[in-house]
Amino acid sequence: MTTVTGTDVLNRIGNTPLVKLDSLSHNSTEYFAKLEGHNPFGSVKDRAAYWMIKDGEEKGILKRGKSILIEPTSGNTGIALTGIGKLLDYKVEIVIPEKVSNETKDIIRNLGAKVFETSDDLCPKVGAGTDQSIALATSIASSRPDTYYSPNQYANEVNFKGHYVGTGPEIWKQTEGKVTHFFTGIGTGGTITGIGTFLKEKNPNIKIIGCQPQQNHLIQGWRNFEESAKPDLFLKREGVVDDWVSVDNNEAFSVVNEVLEKDKLLVSPSSAAVYACMKKYPLDGDACVVGIFADDGRKFKSVYAEQNIMSGEDFDNAIKNATHMSELAY
Amino acid sequence: MSESDEKKLDATGLFCPEPVFRTKIEIERMQVGETLTVSADDPAAEEDISKWVTRSGHELLNISKDGDVITFQIKKVK
Repeated sequence: MTTVTGTDVLNRIGNTPLVKLDSLSHNSTEYFAKLEGHNPFGSVKDRAAYWMIKDGEEKGILKRGKSILIEPTSGNTGIALTGIGKLLDYKVEIVIPEKVSNETKDIIRNLGAKVFETSDDLCPKVGAGTDQSIALATSIASSRPDTYYSPNQYANEVNFKGHYVGTGPEIWKQTEGKVTHFFTGIGTGGTITGIGTFLKEKNPNIKIIGCQPQQNHLIQGWRNFEESAKPDLFLKREGVVDDWVSVDNNEAFSVVNEVLEKDKLLVSPSSAAVYACMKKYPLDGDACVVGIFADDGRKFKSVYAEQNIMSGEDFDNAIKNATHMSELAY
Repeated sequence: MSESDEKKLDATGLFCPEPVFRTKIEIERMQVGETLTVSADDPAAEEDISKWVTRSGHELLNISKDGDVITFQIKKVK
């Protein structure tokens, strides 16, 4: 098991770098990627996990050494909650769809969580993918409220707040208030509503653009709203979204090597999907475009091999040669 | 059927889909031909477990009710 010690790791959450994408930038139009893979457990979800645990403790719901955290997740929240939860002396149980990559499930297990894998045939009436995991985590937690606490990132208001007080102001400061367009995918809706609400308060003309994957997609962490319900957290503030861009699996995976070659970044499928959306979105005149790259590509060796994006050897070389790879806490 | 072939799962007090999830895990651990008896008291379990057994290609030998408790006898077929 990977043992992570030192709560100073928690001080590394947030303040992630904003990196210019030379491959897309031209003349007076600049494109930037917010590299959330630089959070200590490797993704944007460190922010939500930290805020949700902190909130549970402040409300007296969570007690270190006693409470068990249980959460449905498609991957990154599981890694973040386990990493941060174990640091703070909690037991952690993660409910995850079986189709999530083995690397992700292994990381969660190695960080010390018990992992429950759900399949789409479990209870068809609740939906597919993470909907199965949400239903199972909810049922386990509600049967044993004295022990279990499910932060429920899909409805937890602090998932919004973490981005409203953290990521949004960071982007505003890093672009010196010049940001004109903001792109991100939607899983819980916390990222787009938190950052979008903050940026629009600073400048109502900033365009908030949601990226939508195809149905039956392979973009870990995202939801297609024709096959999956809109989470409560997103529904509360969905009006913040000005426009939508659709992206299919091929479009997303086809830019992975392009970003590696031109920007020297090894990106995850969801980051590639955001890049593909930014690339095809029509812009007129001066613009400062920011996209959330929720994690980097290091967990996707098997996915990229399966999708014929890069061989195992190419992947290993990519990790060695890529710039802006972060130092993880595990 | 010998006594040792019959396994039991008490899923009373649990809400769906947990009873069907626990059933699935238990069936995966068993050998083909063994029988699992599941007790559940969530009304949704009747449909969830019955349908899951059919979809998964196993055999629902019997289903009975005693008050709120529903008892399923499931044979692992494959």
